[in-house]
Formats: sequence, C-alpha cells, structure tokens
Amino acid sequence: MNLSDILFLSYKDLREKKVRTALTIVMVVIGVASIVALVSLTEGISASISSELSSLGPTTILVSSAGTSSSGFTAATVAEMESLPNVTTALPVLTGSATLRSGTENTSVTIIGMDPQDLSSFFGKNASLYEGTLYPDTVSPESVVGYDIAFPSSSGGSQEITNGQPVTLSISSGRSSTSISVPVVGILAPTASSFIISVDSGVLMSLQAAETLLHRTSFNTILVKASNESTVSATANSITSVFGSSVRVTSIEEIAQTASSVIGSITTLLVLIAGISLLVAAIGIMNIMLISVYEHIHEIGIMKSVGFKNHNILTIFVVQALIIGFFGGVAGIIVGAGGAYGLASLTSGASSSGTSGAPTTATTGGGSFRGGAGAGGGGAVFVGGGGGGAAPTSSSGTGSLSFTPVFTLSTILTALIVAILVSVIAGAYPAWRASKLEPIEALRQL
Amino acid sequence: MATGNYSVRVSNISKTYKSGDVTVRALDRVSFTLKKGEFAAIVGPSGSGKSTLMNILGTIDKPTSGELYIDGVPTAKMDGDQLAEFRNKKLGFVFQAFNLVNGMDAEANVELPLMVSGMTGVERRKRADKLLEYLGLGQRLRLKPTQLSGGEQQRVAVARALVNNPTLVLADEPTGNLDSKSSEDVIKLLWHISRDQKVTIVMVTHNVDLTRHCDRVIHIKDGELEKDEVLT
Repeated sequence: MNLSDILFLSYKDLREKKVRTALTIVMVVIGVASIVALVSLTEGISASISSELSSLGPTTILVSSAGTSSSGFTAATVAEMESLPNVTTALPVLTGSATLRSGTENTSVTIIGMDPQDLSSFFGKNASLYEGTLYPDTVSPESVVGYDIAFPSSSGGSQEITNGQPVTLSISSGRSSTSISVPVVGILAPTASSFIISVDSGVLMSLQAAETLLHRTSFNTILVKASNESTVSATANSITSVFGSSVRVTSIEEIAQTASSVIGSITTLLVLIAGISLLVAAIGIMNIMLISVYEHIHEIGIMKSVGFKNHNILTIFVVQALIIGFFGGVAGIIVGAGGAYGLASLTSGASSSGTSGAPTTATTGGGSFRGGAGAGGGGAVFVGGGGGGAAPTSSSGTGSLSFTPVFTLSTILTALIVAILVSVIAGAYPAWRASKLEPIEALRQL
Repeated sequence: MATGNYSVRVSNISKTYKSGDVTVRALDRVSFTLKKGEFAAIVGPSGSGKSTLMNILGTIDKPTSGELYIDGVPTAKMDGDQLAEFRNKKLGFVFQAFNLVNGMDAEANVELPLMVSGMTGVERRKRADKLLEYLGLGQRLRLKPTQLSGGEQQRVAVARALVNNPTLVLADEPTGNLDSKSSEDVIKLLWHISRDQKVTIVMVTHNVDLTRHCDRVIHIKDGELEKDEVLT
C-alpha cells in the first residue's frame, strides 16, 4: 500500500461517521488544550517572575531585620556589612505601612525610605519618573508616589494625585495614629509590577524623612550587592554568621530558586491533572475504535479475502488513530493558546500586551496576582522583617504580577507528539484486533 | 509438482468441525481437478459442504487434511499473510451479497486488490476502468455501491475479481440476490470470461437451471463428492 491508499482507506472510515469522529477529536482537543494552556501559563508566570527577580540582579542579597522595630539596622550595621569580603555596596532601606487619605478614600500604601541615588540599584531600570523630580536626600518629607497611587484603579485609572499637591499620610503606632501632610514632587512611571516591594503603591522618600515619619531611628532592610554571582552564597553565609539570628538573609538567587521550584511542582501537578483528561481521551479513542473495528469486520473480511495482509489492516486502523491524534493535537494547541491568553488577561486584569516592557499605560494594579505561586513565597521571604510598627509590605501593597503565556516550540511540538502518541497507543489494541481477524469469520459478520 | 494443464487440484481434502463434544465432518476426502479455463458448478443441498469446499478453494478456510494445489502451488501449509498474498495474485471472489465496500466508488472497489499488489495508482486505475468499461459500467465509475442496481453491483464485483488476472475465480451463489434477467447476464458474463481469458471459474449455485452454461457440474452431498458431470 502506498501512503495515499493508506490515507484514503483510513479517512474513508472516519468520514463515514463524521459526528463521532468530530467528538473523538474533541476529546483529544480538551486534553491537549488543557496541557498547552497550563504549561504556557506557568511558563509565562515563571518567566515573569524571573524577569522581576533579575531586574534586582542576581548578585543582590536582601538582609532584613528579624527583631522588633527597636532593633533595626543603623548606619554602623550598613558600614559593617559593606566591610565584609566580596561585598560591593550595602544600601539601607526603611519600609513601613501607612494609610493614604485622599478625600473620603483610605488606601494602604507602603512608605519606602531610601537614598534617591539608590533607587535605580534597588528597582533596576524599571524606576523612571512619569513626571516631576526625585525627592531630595534631606529630612524634609518630600515624596515621589507610585503610579498606582497617582492613578488608582478605583478611579478607573484617572489621575487623582497631581505633582506638587500634598498627600495626607496616616501612620498608626500602637493605639495612636498621626497624620502628616507630605508634598509630592514626582510620580513614578509604572514599574512593571515589582511584586517584591510594591513600588507602584509605594510612597518613596529619603531615609531621614521616612525615619521621622515612622518614628524610627533605624532601618529594617539592607540591600547588599555581592561582587559577582559566584560569591553570592558565600557572602550570604558570612552575613548570617556575623549577624546571627537578628537578621534574615535572602539572596535573589535563592528567591528565584524557591520560586522556580514552587512553580515547578505546581506545573507538575497541573499537567498531571490535564494528563488525566488526556487519559480519558485515550480511553475514549480506544472505545470508539473498537466500535469502529466491530462495524467494519465485514469490510475487513472483504479486504483480507482480496489479499490485504494483517499489517495492512493494522496500518489502516493505526492511521485512523493517528489522524484523530494529529487533528486533535493541532486544534488542541490552538484552543489551548487561546485559553491561555484568555486566562492570562482575566487574572492580570490587564491587556495582554507586553509585560516586561517599557512603562506604557498598561495597568498592573487592577487584578492582583499576589496569591500566585512564586509571588507569595518569594515576597514573604523578602520583606518578612521589620516587625513592630512596620507591617510586612507584601501584605499591604497591591503588588501584582502580570504575565503573558509563553509558547515555546518545544511545548507545541511536545503537545502534538503526545496527542499523536496517546491516540496511536489507544488505537493500537483495536487495530491489532482488526488485523488478527480471520477472513472467513469476518466475512460471516454482516 | 507438475500439474500439466490443471489449474486446480483438490487432493483428498477433509474438513471437520468441533461443535461442543460433537465432531462434524463437513468434507470427507474430496478430490478432483479443474482445467485451465474450465467453468465448473458445485451443486448440492444446504449443509452438503459445498460452501466449506468453496471457502477452502478460496484459501480463506483451511482443510483439516488433504492438499489444495492452485497453479501447482500447495497451499495447505501457508500462513495467513502468505495466503493473503497468494489470493491477491491468483484468486478472485464473487459473493452472493456482492461484498463491495460501501464507502468507495465502483472504480475504487475494483482497484482494492491492486492497492496491496504494489502497482502504481495510474496503472491500477487504467486497468480498473478498462474492466468496468468491458462490463458495461464505463459511465458508473464514480457511483457508490448503494447507487448501483444489484446487477451492476455484481458486475463491479466481477470486475474486482478479475482485476488481478487471477487463475481461479470463485463465485459463491453469484446470482442469489439477482432477478432472473440479471442472473442470466452474470452467468453469461462468467462463461465468456472463462472462454476469453482462460480463467478457471468455480460457481456454487442452488439454481440447477444455471448450470447448463457450465463445463462441469460437481455434486456434493453429505460432505462427499457424489457425482462429477462433464457437460458438453
């Protein structure tokens, strides 16, 4: 038999029962689509997380104070860390939570105190101004607000805070709370959702101003840069051995690893679940093919009587399964891709356009993805310190992670190969049964 | 084995079935030979074993003992695939129920045996078309079996049986589902084929009237060869 005969004879049987063939293909589509969607989504999430993390640089080590507010870091701590081997710089940061009063609305914000010159070290190339200027490195509480504060999603993204207009911050410490009016000198462009510290919902100011505002004389976070990637873990270890249990040391590398291992196990779980639907499809194919073989017994008898050998019959039925697998696979990839984009735009509440890109008008604040795999884990580790008055910023911010599904050629090819393979394996037994029929027995069946 | 001008030699063929504890002897040491181009009828009452004999002649059933030579080739020891290939080269079948493949048009049905013969598509189509033309179906190539009359369907089946230039054509009640006019046509057609193409034809029939066209009438009763008539 040449290829066109095989295709002709296989396709003939499938065409006879169009609805049944279509439904069988749909079973494969569901299985493949769910796998493709889940894999591309988790790959998208993990790509998004790793790009966030890499914007902080792989040599970055975060040291947060593990004690109470009184036992934070001082300039001396910073200097001590800077003097450790393999440390290039140590940047002090103070974070704390506050409530922003704007009209009748109260919004949770994160106060981020740091040297304005350190801003780009901390937030990488993402930190650029939408308008205005950076705050001065003085004790005066002039601030730069995050994009989501100036353009809150609650107002549909229209500008609520303008440059030069003061905002009222309310800081609670213990039972009392103090309100202070802080002038705004600049607005940050969207930072493409740094979920580690939510800059978009942050109020940035100088260290001294933040200390005054938060009634602190120390910082709760120090950002340490190791000299290169190979010295990161050694540096992290030496910080731990010098400062002991009063600090919590986390390297970006470590966060990345944690995040990727969490995402990895979630991916495995999801793919397993999707795999079940493919297994169901396989059983469906086997069932349908057995029925088809049964219906074609007489025809198989005719074919065998005119000289078709066992392997010819086997081929015809295996190719039927292959056709189902191929079309189910192709359609499944398309449906899965569509589904992944649909889900991604649903969860990020944003247009599915560029995530890692320039600060465009793409909103990142709306629907948050904080519940997501890596974000929860990584973020909590990073900003878990502070204690006392300074609540962990990750829980107060609206840091969100937007992402686009990532389709790699290997995902697409694997999905197609799996679809075909599963179908062929499912079709193999019915095909084998068909091939083993005795012509005389088969001819008797009508 | 030298067979001279015999195209079929049935040598001492027996066939027994086990039905529960009972052993049924369907054929009992049947022997005969058929010459090239001979048109033979096998007749006998129901349950006489004539269908079993047909199936054995067609190599789709195996004798319990004995040997069947077609073109001098012994077939009893061949396995399924060898027999399939043998049928593909040497045999043609015409069935009572036509046994055409419904999903394929007349031309494709005729081509079916050639699909596994290694012949190119063009050559195959030419041969099928020529045969269908010869059988008066030149205008019906693209029609499916369900769109053809019984007589037409049987002629398509005859074309399929002849498309591989067989040594032996087996026709099992070829007129059983046809009206008398079509029956007469099909029988005449088979007679012509045996004459013109030197093809040996074995036909099973109930209709004794139809055997008058035949060269030989082999009577089977209770699994035994009862009478072997040569008509002139």
